[in-house]
Amino acid sequence: MSKDNKNKPTGNPADKLPEDAAKAMEATAASLQNLAAAAEGKAAPAPVEEPDDALFDFDDDDPLSATGVSKKSLVIFFLIDTSRSMVGKKIGELNTVMEELIPEIRRVGEADTDVKIAVLTFGTQVRWMYSEPILIEDFEWSRLRADGVTNMGEAFRELSSRMSRNSFLNSPSLSFAPVIFLMTDGYPSDDYKEALEELKQNSWYKFGLKAALGIGSEANDEMLEEFTGSKDTVVHAYSGGQLAAMIKIIAVTSAQIGSKSMTLSDDVNHELSEEEVRSAKQKLLGQQIQDSMTNLGDADAISLDTGW
Amino acid sequence: MVELSIGQEVEMEYGGKAQVLGVIGSGGQGIVYLVRYNGMKWALKWYDIDKMKNPKAFRKNIQNNISDGPPSNKFLWPKYLTKEKEDGTFGYLMELKPESFDSFVDILNTYKLSVDPLTGRSTKTPVRFTSLYAMVTAVINIVNAFRQLHRAGKSYQDLNDGGFFINMDTGAVLVCDCDNIAPDGSNFGIGGKPGYMAPEVVRGVAKPNVQTDKYSLAVVLFKLLFRGDPMEGEKVVKDVCLTESSELKHYGQNAVFIYDPDDASNRPVRGIHDNVIKFWRIYPDYVKDAFIRSFTLGISDPNKRIIENEWQKIFIRLRSEIIQCTCGRTNFTSMFKMVDFKTYKCPQCGTIFETLKFSNRKNRMPLYVGSVFYDCEIDPDSEDFQTVAGMLVENKLKPGVLGFKNMSDKTWRAKMPDGDFYEIPPGKGFPIWQGLIIDFGEVTASL
Repeated sequence: MSKDNKNKPTGNPADKLPEDAAKAMEATAASLQNLAAAAEGKAAPAPVEEPDDALFDFDDDDPLSATGVSKKSLVIFFLIDTSRSMVGKKIGELNTVMEELIPEIRRVGEADTDVKIAVLTFGTQVRWMYSEPILIEDFEWSRLRADGVTNMGEAFRELSSRMSRNSFLNSPSLSFAPVIFLMTDGYPSDDYKEALEELKQNSWYKFGLKAALGIGSEANDEMLEEFTGSKDTVVHAYSGGQLAAMIKIIAVTSAQIGSKSMTLSDDVNHELSEEEVRSAKQKLLGQQIQDSMTNLGDADAISLDTGW
Repeated sequence: MVELSIGQEVEMEYGGKAQVLGVIGSGGQGIVYLVRYNGMKWALKWYDIDKMKNPKAFRKNIQNNISDGPPSNKFLWPKYLTKEKEDGTFGYLMELKPESFDSFVDILNTYKLSVDPLTGRSTKTPVRFTSLYAMVTAVINIVNAFRQLHRAGKSYQDLNDGGFFINMDTGAVLVCDCDNIAPDGSNFGIGGKPGYMAPEVVRGVAKPNVQTDKYSLAVVLFKLLFRGDPMEGEKVVKDVCLTESSELKHYGQNAVFIYDPDDASNRPVRGIHDNVIKFWRIYPDYVKDAFIRSFTLGISDPNKRIIENEWQKIFIRLRSEIIQCTCGRTNFTSMFKMVDFKTYKCPQCGTIFETLKFSNRKNRMPLYVGSVFYDCEIDPDSEDFQTVAGMLVENKLKPGVLGFKNMSDKTWRAKMPDGDFYEIPPGKGFPIWQGLIIDFGEVTASL
């Protein structure tokens, strides 16, 4: 920077500039005609040559034109017993709590996961509430009615056939292992064992987060344990209040755990092995369900099995 | 955990009671409530102490943070602790997030949901930056917040998409969830959010610290600019189902950057990672190189990670390379045609852009009506990247004549077409011409 020039008068220089300087200035402005044209809002000169670089694909290069980040998907399967024994308070409570639950878990996927819901009911007939899993933001609960026998084995077969990349789990992107939540108040009327063995061969089921809720005193916890593969993820509701609370706890906890990657290393100080992390989510689900159950008092004393 | 009920009062450490008005949200460590305390509304974070390894130490750490105060006004810092209940549960009060800020989660989703409390139906409102300036300013603000925090000797530990709020019009940033912030080297039990955690934390061989913060910061910046996951490409998608072991592999033991120049095994997949594919070609090489270094060398060697000051310089430069063309095209100079070393041309309409060369940096700043430079760009001692120092404007009395307006509080000197230098006090302007030299003091600029 030249220091030869002495300080000149301060203030707005344009006021005090010599005539010729002002002219030179305007000439300069003319040389920046594009800028000037810009200032006047005139149409800019037409391009002399076409852009020769494919890089400038200006239909689609706005740095602000992002779409949502690519998400993982999680399907939550609800397997719900709609046999005759569910009629009345049980199915009433269940319908109400499910209606309330859906909006509550809408945000659970945050920016990482699209959470979808699929509901399979089993009475005499095995039926899906909707023909495919529905995004939780758009899901509307349609109230269930109870009737018929408990064809649970048939439900296991139907679930297994749909838990496939060619069917319900067809997201092109990554998926988390599904959450499978079984609710029943009785013992299967059909031969469920063979069907359950078949289901256990399904990889999605193997990695999935499984939980079960027995409703009333007829439900068989051992059978439910066979389904989830662990005692911790089976709970039992004996009253309407318990039923509502437990459905919420299990659904919310499993959706939270299922829809997120897991911090595997919170409690360790060594290099983790694959063996150590296997089924970490299922274990965590069991722990959290059990913790929540201890905090759950039996405030509602009227048993689900009385007063029908 | 024992949840609070609406109307319940919680005793504060130094007297008074906070009354619960509603629930704001819940997270892994507890629930955040809206409360009233001393006539003002606050957010109360109430902990699930069953999930804490050492609640006493955790509480003590928050106490220390409260007395140290926030590193700057970019933090929604803990303000007051509650009294400990008999069972040991406690919480703390912080200021509420202003309405004008959106969560980083909603920004990544590009919309926010509002749920009608009566019907349970949800509606979506778009969440987008209103200008490229705002987006790059937000990036600079995030980097700067972590620079301030690390300079205070603390680490954030749990850096993830739940930790920020951004004003989409201005790029202002608020860092929230400051309760896990701890002196570098200490850890009170938080591991972090997978996808954001440094590979050594995922693997279990390190606890969060300043160096792992730097990795997480690079992930946050990458997600904000490229709108995708830096480690999720073909190799990961092939697994179809993301189990615990595949996460350990792809984010810990064998993490491969999607644009690793030496390992093409994990490239983004068209149809799934379209954002990243699109944006990766838009950004200039010096930005991409910084991410490549962070996610290749920086994976195994924490000392190779980009330091905050370096990120800050990179993004201050990027902001100065934005061109807003009259035809509507707004982009970085990397997406304009370079005619010669000092001229760019709009590939859409052909408009020519002259550039300004500053003596303290190599890159040149494109000129158009409305282009600006900031205090930190003309004063080596200034850290102020928010205050506009100069702007290119059109002379109000002479349409078509363009010049710079001095918006700083210092007097500059500018060379006029008569060959002499004139003093340009704050608020005054001067025309641009081919021989222009601006003397800012230590820094000069010329056309």
